Amino acid sequence: MDTVARFDEQRLFFSTGRRHGEGLDAVDGLGLRPALLAGYRDLARLRYDYPVVLVGTGRDAGEVRALSSVIDDVLREVAPRGLEGEKLRKHVLRLEREIRALTASGARRTLAELWGEAAQRLASPRDPSAQEVLAGIGDKLDLDGWVADCDAGMPADVVTHLWQAAQKRKAKAFRRLVDRLVVRLSDILRAAFIQSAVGRQPETLRATLGGSYKDAFDFGAMSKLLTRNVPHDELPPARRQRIEWALQVLQTQPFYVDEHLAGRPGVPEQLAFRFTDCASAAEACRARLPKLAEVVKAIAIAELEADGRYADAKHDPFFAHFDESALTPEDVVLFPDYLVCIPAGENDAPRNAGLMDILSAGLPVKVLVETTDLVEEASAGAGHFPFGVRAARLANTATGLGGVYVVQTAASNLYAMRERVAKAFAHHGAGLFSVYVGTGAEGALPTYLAAAAAMESRAFPAFAYDPHAGATQAARFALEDNPQPEADWPVEPLEYADEALQRVRQEMPFTIADFMLCDRRYASHFARIPRERWNDAMVPADEWLALDAKRAGDKVPYVLAVDGEDVLQRVIADSRLMQTVVRYRTFWHRLQEQGGIHNSHAEILLAREKAKWEEARAKEREEPAPGSAPAAAAAPATAPAAGKAAEPPAPEPAEPQRNPDEAWIETSRCPSCNECQNINDRMFKYNENKQAYIADVNAGTYRQLVEAAEICQVAIIHPGKPRNPNEPGLAELVERAKAFL
Amino acid sequence: MTMPVTQCLIKLHEAHHQLEDYQGGVPRWCSGCGDNAILTAVQRLCRDEDLAPERTVFVSGIGCSSRFPHYMKTYGFHGIHGRAFPIAQGVKMARPDLAVFVNTGDGDCCSIGAAHWIHAIRYNMNLTVILHDNQVYGLTKKQASPTSPIGMKSNTTPRGSYLEAMNPLTVTLGVTNVSFVAQAVDWIPELLYDIIRKAYLHRGFSFVRIIQRCPEWLPKQFEPWLHDPGKTLLLTHRDGLAISPELARTYRNQIEHDPLDMNRAREIASATDPIPVGILYRNPSVPCYEDLHGVGEVRTAEQVRAGLEAEFDKVTVWPQDDGARAAA
Repeated sequence: MDTVARFDEQRLFFSTGRRHGEGLDAVDGLGLRPALLAGYRDLARLRYDYPVVLVGTGRDAGEVRALSSVIDDVLREVAPRGLEGEKLRKHVLRLEREIRALTASGARRTLAELWGEAAQRLASPRDPSAQEVLAGIGDKLDLDGWVADCDAGMPADVVTHLWQAAQKRKAKAFRRLVDRLVVRLSDILRAAFIQSAVGRQPETLRATLGGSYKDAFDFGAMSKLLTRNVPHDELPPARRQRIEWALQVLQTQPFYVDEHLAGRPGVPEQLAFRFTDCASAAEACRARLPKLAEVVKAIAIAELEADGRYADAKHDPFFAHFDESALTPEDVVLFPDYLVCIPAGENDAPRNAGLMDILSAGLPVKVLVETTDLVEEASAGAGHFPFGVRAARLANTATGLGGVYVVQTAASNLYAMRERVAKAFAHHGAGLFSVYVGTGAEGALPTYLAAAAAMESRAFPAFAYDPHAGATQAARFALEDNPQPEADWPVEPLEYADEALQRVRQEMPFTIADFMLCDRRYASHFARIPRERWNDAMVPADEWLALDAKRAGDKVPYVLAVDGEDVLQRVIADSRLMQTVVRYRTFWHRLQEQGGIHNSHAEILLAREKAKWEEARAKEREEPAPGSAPAAAAAPATAPAAGKAAEPPAPEPAEPQRNPDEAWIETSRCPSCNECQNINDRMFKYNENKQAYIADVNAGTYRQLVEAAEICQVAIIHPGKPRNPNEPGLAELVERAKAFL
Repeated sequence: MTMPVTQCLIKLHEAHHQLEDYQGGVPRWCSGCGDNAILTAVQRLCRDEDLAPERTVFVSGIGCSSRFPHYMKTYGFHGIHGRAFPIAQGVKMARPDLAVFVNTGDGDCCSIGAAHWIHAIRYNMNLTVILHDNQVYGLTKKQASPTSPIGMKSNTTPRGSYLEAMNPLTVTLGVTNVSFVAQAVDWIPELLYDIIRKAYLHRGFSFVRIIQRCPEWLPKQFEPWLHDPGKTLLLTHRDGLAISPELARTYRNQIEHDPLDMNRAREIASATDPIPVGILYRNPSVPCYEDLHGVGEVRTAEQVRAGLEAEFDKVTVWPQDDGARAAA
């Protein structure tokens, strides 16, 4: 068959998705995967972010740590430089591999348990000490917690762990506030009781004294002594009632129950805040709002009472109508967040249909949605979309609701974005975590690889939107968690041996076509081309996308793949699949614009300004020849090209002109020592800062002015010239005043 | 931007104060005493920072300056000689929400109260300390104090004092955990106010030594400095003192000093002529004692009871246990 005939078969496949002829092989069953994933067959042998330790006790409690980072810490501690250290290092790294293998096989245990088991598995007759040494190192671990591998259950585990840590911190702060207020209110009531008539009765006084010295006191006499000449200072009934009410509400609030008092009579049960569907969370949240408002009201009253600021006339009318409508986000942030972890298969369940409603209602609800299916064709086949929006668009739609904290990421990247997830729990409104966890189908790639492929290929890009991070979109929207976010596709190096066994290094983009090749459901959109039928009309998918329509018609896009033997294969894609690729690239471009990358508005503005600048430059060039230019225009050219012209030194503020004949005081230097006022407090007065000035020079004599100047410690009074020429002794006074003019 | 209901209500009915709201009794200090300038500066600070009088406390020991609480219309505690610091620390521990000031003299602080002074610096509790240093025991009519300069004649040193004066600045700067040290003089009210304000705004033990005149017993002591602005050295820094153009015109002797530079601060503090005025050392990262000890350890009566019962239960022998054991 000639080259043209081969290409026609490939063109036909591209256009129709149907394989005709012998040169096109079905890919299903060939075990193909994108060539860039060739090196990731055995994940247990690699050191990467997973599994993770959900640290529950010890150092870093509440955090999520990668197993490899925990091991690195251990190695730094126990493996010194040198031969002995190297041996230990090898042992510990083998143990890490064992733990990785155990978790990959589905083991769900704590790090300490896994460590012990892995150490046991590594025991060998050749090196009997290894187990003992590794167990000894395990004993030195200063943290422990559940270990979670990157599987479908991991996102819920990680998010719940971070949520629990955030709730612990909140509980601590809330209990500190409430306990402080309870103590303060109790103190007010106790002080009132001590000062009351009942509090001073002999029986009450007797009850306050413990031990065996009761008989040594005459409580009757003590009572008389304490009640005599003491003003009647009972707590007003309205205030007592208010304090008692606030105290009772704070002591019986069910949002954060004191763990030391839990289970005791009168202590309410701790409410639950973790749910698996949106409807239950929304119902609970709404049903508890009145109680929450009551607690906020009690806190506000208690704060005011504790500070002695409660004024019946001002505050009673406000609190009389206080309900949930008066709550502010800052009040609600004190209370627990509701967490909804929707199981992966439940996204389109009727009880989750209200997701967008609870997100837009501003309730303190954080929702984890796990997505298993990204490509729209499958969703369309199912007849409807979960939450009324396509899974891949869910998070981006939520950013438009206003006030919703959004994190979208693939499961493989969740560890890297854990701080953004943790930050969401400090946010007082709603939050959405949209996580892609792979398809989980039989024969599919492991979750980690499938999720990483989704993110690398831009099928499910990572981004975060924090509505309170700042006033601008640039501050709120973050796209930098993606690999090479400025590019259409991330480009990675691929090294392989060619037919002559020579090493070849090639830069390979990873496109959505690569991602779809990983999913057997899209196998019919691909066809493998045997090596002998490769031709120049076949171009890599990313290059094909860059062609114009006319040239693209002469080419067929292909993806470079490897089979089970790691032999390179070319797989061509049909036009329907390439349409999907184009659609996702457009979606990625939109995200890039939101993230400030290739922003079209900015680029248009820049082009316009550049054109203006070039026009101005061109006009300048058209100006008359040098020499005929006016001196003023030539002047800037002689100025230094770089740097600011030296600014003239700031002129020193001029001293105010004063008439030497008038009396005055350097008021700002007055140390308020009262000397001048003691002489004449009508002539000398203090200003608002209690510094002296001459208020009325006619309110006293020239003699008083001169005496004030003489007695002033800091010599800031200037008496001027006499105003009354008939004042006795003027000649002598004028002479004395000369020192202060 | 919204705020919690409580803050909203407090803001809504916030009271603003005037200087007169802080003026207590008429000062009984001698005419021309430097304490007046300090009193005015502190009253201005209270007004400008809108400190609620009922949430402000002045604690003092014994001496002329220690009459200070009487002249402030706030809470006050005129304590016993040398014990202003422990009293103020106790107030702060019991009521960390109060603004607590300490007014102490050179005798009260640097002599009988020296032990408390050293440890108060080390504890770095959030207190504003004003050392009224007139270099003499004035209330008891002129005896030499630890800060009296060598050769000063007084009723206890008729031939002149034999010892070099103690320098309260270098002593303070030498104590562990020191976090704020400044020096002011009572005759430059603008800087006096600014320094006291900076001290108040610093969170920690803010120590301000104020060199003040005693017109009654040492009337000539500071005359050279009073009449020659060149003998005063102003310490400037971009986040240091606010020096007005008028003042800058009079006091031209200025150097830039970074308040985080401890070594330079000690050098400057050692100088007595010219008198350095400004912030010598400020380090906001030194932890406060109240942040280290008992943070959030509030216990309600129920919690205390539950805790005690849990402890008692560990050692309680219940009668039925005895019975059960006997039966066994």
